[in-house]
Amino acid sequence: MLDKEFYVISFDSTHYALDTEKKLKDHVDIETIPTPREISTSCGLSIKFKIDLFESVKNIIKDDIANMKIYKIVREGMKKNIYPITI
Amino acid sequence: MIKMTQIDARGLACPKPVIETKKMIDKMTEGSITTIVDNEIAVQNVSKLAQSMSCNVDVKQVEKDFYINIYRGELATPLEVETTVTGDLVILVGKDTLGQGEGTLGKTLMKGYMYTLTEYAPYPKAILFLNSGVNLTTKGSEVIKYLRHLEENGVEILSCGACLDYYKVKDKLEVGGVTNMYTIVDTLHSAKKQITL
Repeated sequence: MLDKEFYVISFDSTHYALDTEKKLKDHVDIETIPTPREISTSCGLSIKFKIDLFESVKNIIKDDIANMKIYKIVREGMKKNIYPITI
Repeated sequence: MIKMTQIDARGLACPKPVIETKKMIDKMTEGSITTIVDNEIAVQNVSKLAQSMSCNVDVKQVEKDFYINIYRGELATPLEVETTVTGDLVILVGKDTLGQGEGTLGKTLMKGYMYTLTEYAPYPKAILFLNSGVNLTTKGSEVIKYLRHLEENGVEILSCGACLDYYKVKDKLEVGGVTNMYTIVDTLHSAKKQITL
């Protein structure tokens, strides 16, 4: 928490988020967090991880990644800047 | 005349040592009280209580017993008061899930709540963990790092001793301190705002 920069995969479906969490959690250091409000105001789950872990994450979920929305989040004080990432 | 009293709290179940000591401190404006206990948890609880009442405390171990010496009045030296940037909110966590329904969702919601707490200012004054809530402060919990972060920033993290003992996880506590019902009631009831999860 309070990391300056990180990646986030946002999901529309909680089940999809939890399934992906299961696939990743024993292999990569990820956190399942509520989707940041800057990305979506509707309630959802996102998976957060450090930027340098992106390759490891991609390798594990490469079959599904085309359907996922990935964002880079950069914190500036209390504000968060969102940058969509395209694969 | 300076009062000197001794309370033999050996064999008394928690929270009796704390209650008896508090009664004595209330009656004494100046003097010393020595509370004798036979376990480390009681040492911590009684010491914390005395310090919270502006008394000076020192502890001597004699074989299996602990002599907690408490000084009030001229015998007490002024304690440094630490101010932390926390609000007036105390959160009571009575279980390790949030809401009612599916367990997996409940656990995920609680994780989300604790994570979000770290991002929301001001931080609560204290978080109290009871019953299955102690699963969140002991080994295996997925929210230890959030609670540690809160603790490092001035939030008191307290787990009920009886609950830790019941679930046999007293030695698996990973964050915060052990407390008793007296402190839980005191912390909860003296708070300006309370939330029960």
